[in-house]
Amino acid sequence: MSEVIATNQTILVVGGGIAGMTAALEAAECGKQVILVEKNPSVGGRVGQLYKYFPKLCHPKCGLEINLRRMKANRNLRLLTMTEVTAVTGEAGNYQVSLRTQPRYVTENCTACGECARAVEAEFDNEHNFGLGKRKGAYLPYSLAYPMRYVLDPRIIGTDDATRAKEACKYDAIDLDMQPQETQITVGAIIWATGWRPYDAARIQPYGYDRFANVITSVEFERMADPHGPTGGKLLRPSDGKEAKNVAFIQCAGSRDRNHLKHCSRICCMATLKQTTYLRDKYGDDFKASVYYIDIRAIDRIDDFYQKVRADENVSFIKSKVASITEDRETGNPVLNGVDTEGYHRYSNPHDLVVLAIGMEPSVPAGEFPVDVVLNEEGFVQQDEANGAFFAAGCSSDALDVNRAVQNATASALRAIQVVNRVAGTEV
Amino acid sequence: MSDYNQQMIEQFRGNFLKEVESNVEEGEWVKMCMQCGVCSGSCPFGPHWAHPPQEIFMMIREGEREQVLTSDSMWMCTSCYNCIVRCPRGLPITHIMHGLATYAKRLGLAPKEQPTAKFAQLFWDNLTKTGRVNELKLGLALYFMNGFSEGIKTSLKMKDIGLGMWKTKRLNPMEMVGGHSCKDTKGLQAILAKAQEIEDAKIGRSGA
Amino acid sequence: MSEAKIGAYICKGCGLGDRLDTSQLVTIAEREGKAAIAREHDFLCSEAGVQMIRDDIANEGVNRVVIAACSRRAKTDAFDFDGVCINRTNLREGVIWVRPDTDEDRETTQEMAADYVRMGCAEIKHMNPPTPNEKTDASSRILVVGGGISGMTAALEAARAGYPVTLVEKSGQLGGVAAELVKRVPERAPYADPEDTGVAALAAEIEANELIEVCLNSTLARTSGAPGCFSADIATESGTTRTENFGAIIQASGFKPYDASQLPELGYGKTPDVVDQMGLEALVRAAGDGPVKRPSDGKEVERVLFVQCAGQRSQKEGHLPYCSGHCCLTSIKQAMYFKDRNRDIDTEILYTDLRTPGAPGEDFYRSGQQKGITFVKGVVEDVASSGNGAKVKYKDIILDETIERDVDLVVLATGMVPNSGVDIEAVSAPNVEGAEDDAGDNGGDSVEIPVESILNLTYRQGKDIPQLKYGFTDSHFICFPYESRRTGIYATGPVRRPMDMMSAIEDATGAALKAIQAVENAKLGRAAHPRSGDLSFPSFRKEGCTQCKRCTVECPFGAIDEDEQRYPQFNESRCRRCGTCMGACPVRVISFENYSVDTVGQQIKNVDIPDEFDEKPRILVLACENDAYPALDMAAQSGQQYSQWARVIPVRCLGSVNTIWVTDALNSGYDGVVLMGCQKGENYQCHFVKGSEMAHYRMSKIDDTLSQLNLEKERVATYEVAITDIERAPGLINEMAETIDKIGMSPFKF
Repeated sequence: MSEVIATNQTILVVGGGIAGMTAALEAAECGKQVILVEKNPSVGGRVGQLYKYFPKLCHPKCGLEINLRRMKANRNLRLLTMTEVTAVTGEAGNYQVSLRTQPRYVTENCTACGECARAVEAEFDNEHNFGLGKRKGAYLPYSLAYPMRYVLDPRIIGTDDATRAKEACKYDAIDLDMQPQETQITVGAIIWATGWRPYDAARIQPYGYDRFANVITSVEFERMADPHGPTGGKLLRPSDGKEAKNVAFIQCAGSRDRNHLKHCSRICCMATLKQTTYLRDKYGDDFKASVYYIDIRAIDRIDDFYQKVRADENVSFIKSKVASITEDRETGNPVLNGVDTEGYHRYSNPHDLVVLAIGMEPSVPAGEFPVDVVLNEEGFVQQDEANGAFFAAGCSSDALDVNRAVQNATASALRAIQVVNRVAGTEV
Repeated sequence: MSDYNQQMIEQFRGNFLKEVESNVEEGEWVKMCMQCGVCSGSCPFGPHWAHPPQEIFMMIREGEREQVLTSDSMWMCTSCYNCIVRCPRGLPITHIMHGLATYAKRLGLAPKEQPTAKFAQLFWDNLTKTGRVNELKLGLALYFMNGFSEGIKTSLKMKDIGLGMWKTKRLNPMEMVGGHSCKDTKGLQAILAKAQEIEDAKIGRSGA
Repeated sequence: MSEAKIGAYICKGCGLGDRLDTSQLVTIAEREGKAAIAREHDFLCSEAGVQMIRDDIANEGVNRVVIAACSRRAKTDAFDFDGVCINRTNLREGVIWVRPDTDEDRETTQEMAADYVRMGCAEIKHMNPPTPNEKTDASSRILVVGGGISGMTAALEAARAGYPVTLVEKSGQLGGVAAELVKRVPERAPYADPEDTGVAALAAEIEANELIEVCLNSTLARTSGAPGCFSADIATESGTTRTENFGAIIQASGFKPYDASQLPELGYGKTPDVVDQMGLEALVRAAGDGPVKRPSDGKEVERVLFVQCAGQRSQKEGHLPYCSGHCCLTSIKQAMYFKDRNRDIDTEILYTDLRTPGAPGEDFYRSGQQKGITFVKGVVEDVASSGNGAKVKYKDIILDETIERDVDLVVLATGMVPNSGVDIEAVSAPNVEGAEDDAGDNGGDSVEIPVESILNLTYRQGKDIPQLKYGFTDSHFICFPYESRRTGIYATGPVRRPMDMMSAIEDATGAALKAIQAVENAKLGRAAHPRSGDLSFPSFRKEGCTQCKRCTVECPFGAIDEDEQRYPQFNESRCRRCGTCMGACPVRVISFENYSVDTVGQQIKNVDIPDEFDEKPRILVLACENDAYPALDMAAQSGQQYSQWARVIPVRCLGSVNTIWVTDALNSGYDGVVLMGCQKGENYQCHFVKGSEMAHYRMSKIDDTLSQLNLEKERVATYEVAITDIERAPGLINEMAETIDKIGMSPFKF
């Protein structure tokens, strides 16, 4: 890695998802020096794993491409992938930050020609697809990965595969001796955009995510719908590979629940409404979607999307928190048990597939922040003077949809700029 | 209807939610229900309830006092605790159900011929006598709960099981006479009497 | 500008050397491409390869660099040279990766590569490095229109970053709607109780801030100019007007509460005891610390019913089709006004979907329940009143019963109606054929508008910023919420989208950043999103212009005005560099330094067209560089193949495609033309809003040209292609190849 130059007028952005990218770009395009660190080998975060956005049903990759182009064109912005913040000391306007960069084993020489992946035999669960399907031990995280450079899975280091990868590379881009690197930098402000992760569905025991093959999460369903996902865009039951045409969506899977996440994750209702359209897209009139919900939260202008889905005769809405899921051994059908609270009808409904509209929890749990930060009970970062120049952006501040995460990230970029401008004593 | 019932009606003037909050054990939780229905769906006896828990909570909010208190629904609860475990708001639903049942009984509104209610009374009477449950007497009392001929029929039907239990020393026929008791039966009675006194005083207060 | 000197560099890496005869490509670059220097390299993006190019730039005076290697989307950081034009001839993703590696395909693969090298050299010959048009005198002052929470926040946040601000407020005081509230929904954990609105504190801070100037009782009489040099006439109520310059504008004109008198079915108007949310705020304010009294007879309120979604989320005539987002939380807050005074007051909230999102929302909901607010999923059936209080009949959806309630007060949660000024698209479109009025003043030739304009822009396309839906001036982009269609003017707060106060504060802070960014971009002459940093800029040859106004009408960003003689007047910092004007121009007088009718036209011309009997058709593919082109790239990456006859040219936006390219291509013997742009229409994905739509419209007229040329109309196909169409995009090219197979080669091969 070439030297990282940063001063107390530099803004550090932690996390390269949509919020972090936005905060970094917006600040850089105001003329500020920005360092963006991302833990994974590529930026893009959760947005890179989405097939479509609600309510427009457009493709997240489209905006990602624009943002990547903005990044490539901006010399104020320095990206460090596979890098995490390990410690922060100091105060607003003058933070000392320790970074640790994990070895990628692939240098900037990489042309993304793909020869190493062809040479390597070992395969691992594909994390981009939430473990549905495999990827090679030398891989490009996904089609739009940036930096567009391969990465070697640390698990192949020291094996013959590693040697094969190295030998396959004509550009001397593989360095098997790469070590973790520690870097110290000084920055003026920190934007914390570490985002969210899906709640662990297995912990919702009555739903049997860990027991029934045909109970999956919304994020997995999203990968399935993607033509470049693990099933090539087919909506298939994991148990037998049959097309899933009668699909149940369970809302508040982990959210609004003291036993799991206390907060409402905001996005899940809209995500489910969106996912019902995938069924219509794939099967025309030959599908059935059942949405089990408590409140449908299609907030503000985009309520019209809910009205549109509601008008779809193949989509039904059942006001009920599903009590439990059992499995019909013979068919592999998950059976949903509960009560439709509107008039108290008990049901035991078999479906081909159950999609848990899984809640979002902060990626970084309380207690694992590199610096003292004011959090709310739910573990989201509060805007608080006590945080100094440490500003949350996106889902580290609350459960947000992409639009609001971007809006919030843009605001955070300004808050950081205010600090570094103060440091610089800038008179405009 | 009891005076106590009349007193409560007058005191709370149609605000049944408030009445429940004041007079029913854990009643202050009723307002926290968010109408998801997971309790009703989780109840193994669910199909037998006229009004499952969530509906009862909603009825309380809507002030449907009579319907709630005379209902046999709360008496259906077997304390399996499925609802409590699953309730996203952490409502102690089982306790609320028992609280409502107790309250209904106190008001004299509990259904008269409800078997669970009857059993509960039998159990209580049996237990408080000696401080130990006399299973033989309890069992027989249960058989004869609905009349003599029914009792004989049930007893005959169960006789093989009874004999089996005797053989394996799970049942002692000598229990028919006296039966075992706790060390200080009198002390126990005193405790219970005191508890009753406190309870009565509480009702008296809330009724004042 | 010194004379163009082309250096062409052919990479042999990534299999290019194995699959292609690169020395032939070098020869082509030299002989046909007129490259002064042409070299091949084993590994062009390596340090040595890049150094070779740098040396040629430094020592040989190369100022036009053709890099024939991988896609322009790869290795951008390696091939990043200052002060020269760069062409990325795409031989990897564009040629060898989409063609099979077989002996029989070798010839056509080589021809493809050769054509791309010709095209690369032809393009660069006509490119000039853009000269930044720096505006050192650009104003940094930010104009904020509206003094509500959003406007005040935007002003303060911009000032905190060191930028001077002028805040214009129509009324006599700051605070907007928020000033009329007793308290606000909490913004801080534990989100349990209503908080102070913060209006007074904000107003005090604004007053104390030297960088902020506040103009009360003021409106904008006229706004002209562009980012960095806006000029606004600020008119006061007293009749004085002064003109000031601004770098950027934030429109925070807020909302009006929905007119509840349109809801007689909910009892509004039947009794004063049915109020809307603002009405309740007034009642509570009037009550001070004492009990809240009902308006009809002053009786203390003991029972109050809140009706959510009143006249909202409804397709009924006169109702709002959307959800206003804040009302559930607001009703909870208002019920707390009662509960916090006296817990014995009955407060019931009637809702269909309770919308209290995130951690703050759900915590506040729970706190409301804790305080004894009752929530009922239900719908009002009737509200009757004999004057005092009301009898409300509603259907309890959970119990499936109709319930009747006597209440002292009914509060209707009505929605927000944005204050977005004139709907310029509803106003009859100005006559292109030449109206008599002063073209610089669009207000004159449009129909009379009953709505007052907020900005009074002198823009040729209208007085206010375009609205998106339901009157909101929101951006259409999920990823880019601030992108209005007027560069340097950012809408924020409830005028942009229905939102609560907490969101408005975040939103306004973000808008302040965008305004600051617009100022900084204007200073450097850089484009704003999505071509951020682009220094190129359209200019036109006045002598060729026929004053047809197509450019001024079609510019998606309203960047082009008209001067007194109806010539287009380009406003550089308003321009987003999409080239839609260039595509629109029938006489082709509009061009950018590095993107013009020639840079593309010459690529088309320089493709080798084999004669008819070679049976080697040529398909011109004009692909949007934002979506279709990356889709083709990723198709290549994932092993898809497409026809060897295709010659793909990326364009900034399909809207920049001038029909002359298509007719020239057909005239010069191309057998088919495929155009790939982004989705248009209501859910448009075109990054330049209307570019793709314009292109589709123009191409719908191409049939005439085809029939004049006696060509089958299947030879030109226009598609909407998404970035994810990795299989479909190559498929469309192959379809055209099949079509040509069927209908035969073009007769225009000379």
